[in-house]
Amino acid sequence: MSEENWVYALEVAELADGEKKALVIDGQRIALIRKTNEIFAISNKCVHMECPLSKGELEGYIIKCPCHDWRFDIRSGEFLDARELKVLVYELKVSDGKVYLKMEGENQ
Amino acid sequence: MYTLSTCPWCKKTKSFFAEKNIPFEFIDYDKASKEEQQKIREVCSAHGEGIAFPFVIIGDDVVVGYNPQKYMKLLES
Amino acid sequence: MDTEKRKQRLREMFQRVVDPLGYKFSPDEEIVDFLLEQEVIIEKEHGHPFCPCQGLTGEREIDMKIVCPCIPFHRAHFDAMKRCWCGLYVHKEVDDPDSLVQISRSEFEQMQKEGRI
Repeated sequence: MSEENWVYALEVAELADGEKKALVIDGQRIALIRKTNEIFAISNKCVHMECPLSKGELEGYIIKCPCHDWRFDIRSGEFLDARELKVLVYELKVSDGKVYLKMEGENQ
Repeated sequence: MYTLSTCPWCKKTKSFFAEKNIPFEFIDYDKASKEEQQKIREVCSAHGEGIAFPFVIIGDDVVVGYNPQKYMKLLES
Repeated sequence: MDTEKRKQRLREMFQRVVDPLGYKFSPDEEIVDFLLEQEVIIEKEHGHPFCPCQGLTGEREIDMKIVCPCIPFHRAHFDAMKRCWCGLYVHKEVDDPDSLVQISRSEFEQMQKEGRI
């Protein structure tokens, strides 16, 4: 069994509801998104042309890439117009008001 | 015919007509004025087509796409 | 950025998009090179690598659906032709792209209606 690699990302308090933050962790561009009481972490590179999804508009659980309006579900990472295409979704845990991301075993 | 200056199939269509010595007129949509573009879009949509090129009008018929066989069939009839 | 480098970059990015959709770059290298070059020119002029064989309308919602690769937005139509409209991409099993014909949107809709596809 491989060791789980949980990496500190940010404080929960740093993200207001509906807010998105771009981070680089272990060299990977990641978008942290808070939706009411949930936090999601997805790759911050759109599968199309690698534009930063953190700069996109969030509507419900759907984030729209600022470059070409490609829409992704932040829960599954799926691209709505072709489900075969996905942005990475990172597993995440909150402990003592801190957000940690699992940097291996992404769900793809 | 309506064409795009950037589209290889439009170029092939023009060459096909030129090689057969069939006179034709064309407008490159991307080089056309806003008014002309609007008019071309209306023609495309009136034929149930998207804004896809080449859009070739032969008599009362329309062929969208590079299709020499269809061009010849219509030209012969 | 110089044109050749940008063409190469688009090729790398778009390969990752079309592969899971069952498409590949056309084996007709000449067409591929020409189309990618047009996309780089279009990107310089309009800010995005739009399809070289479809026309822009000026309406963002419509135009964004023809940014290359536009396969996700025209999937059934392109699947019926085994190629995208401009022919930059073909279905993975296609070895002879010249054998594929363009089917117009209205023809495609007619084929659907008649249950031929």
